[in-house]
Amino acid sequence: MSLLTMIVKMSEGLGKTCAIFFLTLLFSLPLGMIVALLRMSKSKIVSTLTRAVITVLRGTPLMLQLLAVTYGPYYLFGAGVARNKLIPVVIAFAINYAAYFAEIYRGGIESIPVGQYEAAEVLGYTKFQTFMRIILPQVIKRIMPSITNEVVTLVKDTSMAFTVSYQEMFTIGKQIANSQTSFLPFVVAGVFYYLFNAVVDYVMGRIEKRLDYYR
Amino acid sequence: MKKICVMLLCAAMLLCLCACGAPKTDAAAERTSFVMGIDPEYPPFSYLGDDGKYTGFDVEVCQAVCDALGWKLEIFAVNWDEKLVQLDSMECDCIWSGMTILDSMKEAGYVISAPYYDSTQVLVVKADSGYTSSADLAGKVVAVQLGTSGEALLGGDLAELAASFDSVLTCDSFLKCFTELEGGAVDAVFVDLPVAAKYAAEHDVTIIDENLGAEQYGIAFRSGDSELCAQVEAAVKNLVESGKYAEIAAKSEYADIVNNLIFLSNSFQKETDRKRQKICRFLSYCRPSCLNRKMKSENWNL
Repeated sequence: MSLLTMIVKMSEGLGKTCAIFFLTLLFSLPLGMIVALLRMSKSKIVSTLTRAVITVLRGTPLMLQLLAVTYGPYYLFGAGVARNKLIPVVIAFAINYAAYFAEIYRGGIESIPVGQYEAAEVLGYTKFQTFMRIILPQVIKRIMPSITNEVVTLVKDTSMAFTVSYQEMFTIGKQIANSQTSFLPFVVAGVFYYLFNAVVDYVMGRIEKRLDYYR
Repeated sequence: MKKICVMLLCAAMLLCLCACGAPKTDAAAERTSFVMGIDPEYPPFSYLGDDGKYTGFDVEVCQAVCDALGWKLEIFAVNWDEKLVQLDSMECDCIWSGMTILDSMKEAGYVISAPYYDSTQVLVVKADSGYTSSADLAGKVVAVQLGTSGEALLGGDLAELAASFDSVLTCDSFLKCFTELEGGAVDAVFVDLPVAAKYAAEHDVTIIDENLGAEQYGIAFRSGDSELCAQVEAAVKNLVESGKYAEIAAKSEYADIVNNLIFLSNSFQKETDRKRQKICRFLSYCRPSCLNRKMKSENWNL
């Protein structure tokens, strides 16, 4: 198999890798915000419960969570295994990443001085307005580097979908490596991931610059 | 300045290559231990026994070989789809775990022992699915373990059959393939017969009575280790002659594979017909070719 066929075959899997990546971001970014707000809830029960869930999600391997979401229903309730693996994969990824994003959001929100809330109150802002107009814009600016970190990790973590037999790019690379007894597909996979992340890095850099309107 | 830099870099790379090549010659000089690379999820050839130690037919034979040669046996569980890379990187001295001999391995320079087992590839379906031949599976999803000969076959000799399927799903272990089958995500699993027989004996699945590819198992060594290969082969031959090999094979755990062990096939034919038929009867529910043979020998008609 020539290098070109290898690259073509693996690019086919790249679409599925992208599907995991974009769908995970689409669901986990808002979900993370909800979890962060629950985590900072004034109700002790809600915040403790959310904290426990976050601990579990951050404290167990993503690979295990993938297996649990995909095969758990079958082993526990005898339900079928999903034919379209993208669904369990995205669910597992979104839940896992939401836990990380939640803690990043919380760090950002808690870094805003209390004085700003008081000032907003004096100026007659409602709680919702304070959060949306004053707090959130500052939070987003502050957490961008941490978010970029997670997004870059997500690109590489997509390869873990292989454990539940989702045929993404790295899985196809492994298949080729096997049938050809060659190490080359792994090099190609490495280049693909690097290029993907170079794009992510560039885009996130641009967003960060756009947000930097006070400098 | 630039040129000097490039030259220095080249020299450094060469040094690295030399360093990589060096230990190979030392290791062969005096062997005291032997690291066997196995797939820990490949019963009955190699698997994690009830006592938490690796066992299986191949492991027991290798243990006997090491005992005879005075080596200390170490077992290394490889990642099956990376097995040859792990062999090359000296993590183990051989791959000996129901491994199908592939031409691509020989082409890549690996030293492969004489085959010791005749195997076939079969399709496993759910017992209530009603599929009876590979043709019934047109447009269906079939699972196969990554790095196995089944995967190689579907990409090569059986590419036509593979094209008739809706898609081929690769899993990283047989257990996952079978979980996908029982969970309804795939319609069939393409797998080596011994593994299929063992799983079918314990679960509600059936093996399609169709032999889809004959193959042989062998032991793989690194290129240049032909001496080691010859040593192991000779030791196995001694075990066969002394009867130790047959003794291991006679254990009840290996009843599914005993009929296909190449080294025993000659001595087996000499044994009484009754014993052979008994094994045939035991295997007939899982082994198509054996059933065929029995049907022919007794003039059965369906």
